[in-house]
Amino acid sequence: MKTLDSQASAALGTADPGWLSERRKQALDYFEKLPMPSPVEEVWRYVDLDFDIASYSIVENPGEAHELGVGIAAALPDTSGSLLIVDGHVVSSENTEGRVSFGSIRSILAADPDLLEPFLGVAVPSDLDKFAAAHAAFGGEGAALVVPRGVVVEKPFFVDVQATENGSVSFPHVSLSVGESAQASVVLRYRSDDGLDSLVVPQLELNVGANAQLKVTVVQHWGRGTRSISHVRGIVGRDANLHLGEAGLGGLLSRLNLTVDLEGNGSSANVVSAYFGDENQTLDYRYTMHHQGVNTNSDMFLKGAVQDEALSVFTGMIRIDEGAQKTDAYQTNRNLILSDGASAQSVPNLEILADDVRCGHGSTVGPLDDDQRYYLMSRGLDELRANRLLVHGFFNEALARFPEPAIAGVVTSWIDAKYREAQEAGRV
Amino acid sequence: MSLALQVSDVKARFGDLEILKGVDIDVPFGEVHVLMGPNGSGKSTLCHVLMGKTDYEATGSALVDGTEVLGLPVDERARAGLFEAFQYPVEVPGVSLDDLISEMGEVREDPGFADRVEAAAEALDMERFRQRAVNNDLSGGEKKRSEMFQLAVAKPKVAILDEVDSGLDIDAVREVAHLVEELRSDDLGVLIITHYSRILRYMKPDKIHVMVAGKVVRTGGPEIAAELEASGYVDLVDGEATVSAPDVTPFDV
Ligand SMILES: Nc1ncnc2c1ncn2[C@@H]1O[C@H](COP(=O)(O)OP(=O)(O)OP(=O)(O)O)[C@@H](O)[C@H]1O
Ligand SMILES: [Mg+2]
Repeated sequence: MKTLDSQASAALGTADPGWLSERRKQALDYFEKLPMPSPVEEVWRYVDLDFDIASYSIVENPGEAHELGVGIAAALPDTSGSLLIVDGHVVSSENTEGRVSFGSIRSILAADPDLLEPFLGVAVPSDLDKFAAAHAAFGGEGAALVVPRGVVVEKPFFVDVQATENGSVSFPHVSLSVGESAQASVVLRYRSDDGLDSLVVPQLELNVGANAQLKVTVVQHWGRGTRSISHVRGIVGRDANLHLGEAGLGGLLSRLNLTVDLEGNGSSANVVSAYFGDENQTLDYRYTMHHQGVNTNSDMFLKGAVQDEALSVFTGMIRIDEGAQKTDAYQTNRNLILSDGASAQSVPNLEILADDVRCGHGSTVGPLDDDQRYYLMSRGLDELRANRLLVHGFFNEALARFPEPAIAGVVTSWIDAKYREAQEAGRV
Repeated sequence: MSLALQVSDVKARFGDLEILKGVDIDVPFGEVHVLMGPNGSGKSTLCHVLMGKTDYEATGSALVDGTEVLGLPVDERARAGLFEAFQYPVEVPGVSLDDLISEMGEVREDPGFADRVEAAAEALDMERFRQRAVNNDLSGGEKKRSEMFQLAVAKPKVAILDEVDSGLDIDAVREVAHLVEELRSDDLGVLIITHYSRILRYMKPDKIHVMVAGKVVRTGGPEIAAELEASGYVDLVDGEATVSAPDVTPFDV
């Protein structure tokens, strides 16, 4: 295990091409200067960062990976390629789609040092915060997909990201780029054992070329001791679409900071999340939809539930630039509070500088609906059963919008089971 | 015939508001009864009180095939054989009608359930609604149709239909009426709440009850409907308020 210092950063950077080496040095500088974020900063409000990144170390030899659960394996019978990242190291990868580059970042850099230059470490600025700086200074390995212009890939790629070592920090990086008029779908799964004290700082960089479509499905299933501070940045070109679905199920703390730039005219994004926190989990979503092009279209749709002492946070922002006329943007965040000790914050924001736009938001926080429960019970369903059906229905509205329906199906059964367990234990 | 539903001296209040002031209604098995009355007289409240909505404080007795349901949780009333088709069916986003139907089947352990679902779906042309969320974005008429579908599937002992004909076009009203006549059996008592004698053209109620200001003020045969159509509730309402007024014609047939 290595501590996060300049030596470690330099050692990790030995194989970097020149352009990446520069970015890494710069990031190390930021890392050393930036403090751990504090809740007095607006962007870290509500989140108690009761740890120091410096107390975690980098793993030199990855631990043993956990096998894929039957549910998710069955939902992905056939992939175009898959890749396994354990403790920040790519331990296996295969690609059956000859028309694209898919593999570990290291191997792709080795084969073509310039292929990733326009994408890697660009979308998430390394001076954003301490975690983004650490990612750029100590990361660099992960998965990369480059789909050339015009190539349409039907079957999804699968990237499995795991943490296995106590006290470890890892910086898995996923860089996905689809060229003009190309299409691809990627499923990402995050996993660690319950009780494992680890920190993971993933980054997803998504580049969607003109008229292209990228679907990304993220299943966050960290164990209860794992903290994850994740950055996602999507850049969407002319007439292109980014469709991202995220299921937030696990983790002690899971923070997801997402920004989508609708750069190209006519570009669009659908971003949907379903999250369910229990016990002492904190799920923190900070989503920004940035409309830059003309005639752009976005829909942020998040549904979450909390029970026990869990906390969820949604801070949403639709930003419409001055020139981004004909924007159509909506954000929806609905939260269910399933027990008294749980809480949810929902803060939708709009910043509109153009005058010819349609833009709106809806935000709710509350318990299950009494009238709906009464209706279901009048059909003979006992209260617990009625509540289960309502929770299922609540999430179904989000999961039905996921890019990969089979994965959404697996998430549905996890969510149903999570709630049912709480019912059986008398917690809800 | 024994009684499917026996409502005795049911009183109900919402906070300080006294809504039901001692309601008595008997519906024998095999019969179809109609409950009419002016807006705000308490008809829907009676339905909710019988079904067990907790907004109301209720006293009295309501027997479903001899089982006292007042005081029972809502679901137990349903499983005791009571079904209410709602005046305003609740939208349940995200829950498909099929999800609900399958849960209804699970709590009933009734071997005939699955067949009934298919038969009723076919008869009511429900196929295209089964994957849609319960009552969500359905037209008024479609909601009523969905309520009738659930009624047919649930196979209750007592069915209370709260304004199941409101908002329906003329064909749909006839259809609902025929469905009620089809459901008529020795195992079922039906109480239909309506404002319109229209639906009565297509079915033969055994009795009509008239509720005014939280009380059943008249019970009689189907001919009452025609009278109400002609004269409205005014006489009855006045009769309630000014019993001794000489110009009030007692409403008798
Ligand atoms: N939950 C409630 N809160 C406040 N008032 C109520 C409530 N339920 C019923 N009421 C009042 O009780 C009275 C009876 O209402 P109810 O809905 O039972 O009438 P109804 O006979 O069904 O009328 P309609 O023919 O218009 O459907 C009305 O004055 C109504 O405003
Ligand atoms: Mg009513």
